[in-house]
Amino acid sequence: MEYKIMLVEDDASIAKLLSSHIEKYGYKPIIVNDFDRILDIFIEENPHLVLLDINLPKYDGFYWCRKIRQISKIPIIMISARDSEMDQVMGIESGADDYITKPFYYDVVIAKIKSQLRRCYGDFAPGVSEERRIELEGLTLYPERPELHFNNNSTVLTKKEAVLAETLMRMSPRAVSRDVIMEKLWDDQAFIDENTLNVNVARLRKKLQEVGIDDALETVRGYGYRLNVTWRK
Amino acid sequence: MKIFLHDHISFVLLYLFNMLFLFIFYRNLGGFETLENVYYFIFLSSFLLGVFLLYRYFSNKRLYDMLTKMPSKFEDTLSSAGTTPISVGVNKLLRAQYNLYQEQIQMYKRKQAEHLTFINQWVHQMKTPISVIHLILQENEGEPYVENIRQELERISRGLNMALNMARLTSFEHDFTVETVLLHSIAIEVVNEQKRYFIRKKVYPEVRIDSNMTVKSDKKWLKFIVEQLLVNAIKYTEGENKKVIVSAYDSEKGKVLEVKDRGVGIPKQDIRRVFEPFYTGENGRKFGESTGMGLYLVSEVCKKLGHQIEIESKPGEGTCVRIIFTG
Repeated sequence: MEYKIMLVEDDASIAKLLSSHIEKYGYKPIIVNDFDRILDIFIEENPHLVLLDINLPKYDGFYWCRKIRQISKIPIIMISARDSEMDQVMGIESGADDYITKPFYYDVVIAKIKSQLRRCYGDFAPGVSEERRIELEGLTLYPERPELHFNNNSTVLTKKEAVLAETLMRMSPRAVSRDVIMEKLWDDQAFIDENTLNVNVARLRKKLQEVGIDDALETVRGYGYRLNVTWRK
Repeated sequence: MKIFLHDHISFVLLYLFNMLFLFIFYRNLGGFETLENVYYFIFLSSFLLGVFLLYRYFSNKRLYDMLTKMPSKFEDTLSSAGTTPISVGVNKLLRAQYNLYQEQIQMYKRKQAEHLTFINQWVHQMKTPISVIHLILQENEGEPYVENIRQELERISRGLNMALNMARLTSFEHDFTVETVLLHSIAIEVVNEQKRYFIRKKVYPEVRIDSNMTVKSDKKWLKFIVEQLLVNAIKYTEGENKKVIVSAYDSEKGKVLEVKDRGVGIPKQDIRRVFEPFYTGENGRKFGESTGMGLYLVSEVCKKLGHQIEIESKPGEGTCVRIIFTG
């Protein structure tokens, strides 16, 4: 089933970028261009979810949110540059289900869309039932277990090692800077430092050895690390 | 009273002179028959003078009171000065002046409000292109230039936030609510918001705050304070693997929130002026990325929230800023 997502955003660039990203995840975006007829378009298209900006020409997002709420219960997510508590409270009070502040991350938007769809229409949003898997020339990482498989060997990773492995595998054969890796490893409660990174790199090297891969994780001096595919015959 | 005497001394002198003159004149003409008549003459004249002065004093008493006691409020100038012509005139003058000033003040208030709205709208408008660049960067993740652009983007965002907060500060009275705030969660939140900055500068945070410790403050502004202090701590730390420590503890003056770095420190001649607006000092010139507004805004916000702020620094060793939640 293809979900229709209505996108009400008056900045054309954001609307375009966001809609093409939504499309990648298998949803069907509907971009609204006529901001006087938001409610009519909503009724015509009958989308499964609405992404709603607050700063719109003429009437604002709060107004349209209330209008839509009068006729429908579908999930509405507000996206706005206004980041004050007051605006978020007003957004939710107008009937929105969630609130995202600009600038935002694609991942956050997609995750919130997924969660709203799941709550509203059951558990069949795309990609939810399937376990995430990253593959690189026969080396497979299951980030949710987290486990690393190669040939018939497998080893269990820690959460941090899995994040590190995922980053390196996705970027291979390009090098990844230390800063980028550290940002991914950063934990909201226990912050990391250079040392944590070094330790995790050393551990991941050992785990790679355990599954039979030697000398693949290369240190790029003064920059970061690279995962070279040395196991290809 | 003093003003009254000053004001009337010329009258009194004129009167006495006039009396003396008439007295001599009469005497020479042989107008006084007995000594008693002379006393009577002097007594009558002085009595009349006294009555006149008393009358003057009491009829204009309110005016003189007003003149001695300077007004402390703008509205005080409008209180009545009495019913004598001079009092009425003074009242009229003051009222006219009051109206003229009010007009000007209203005009400036309107301009200030317009400016505030403009800044607010402008900052939010600027967030749209930032969001667009942010999205484009996410699509090009892994390219070498992405990190550089992202860094600059963060600088722009920091600057915009500063402008927004500066504007908000002028309407502070309508924009804060004192509640019980968990210090630990505020510190963690702000540290996480600054994670890229930490990583890029290779400076690492350490939060040593009891997770139950609370203070009475405004959450949003307290976050702003901590953010500014952290950004400063990161900015002025040179070299790798140095720590910024955010801690909180009880002291005899009250609860204390402390942000401590091992950075370059502030030169002695600058430290007394760091809370002045637009003052950048030696570090500002050296590091270049200074507006001179950060600590000024922090101290202003502290003043309005009723928190004390202390700064201590040794060049080459680091800086320590303390926010003291008194009472």
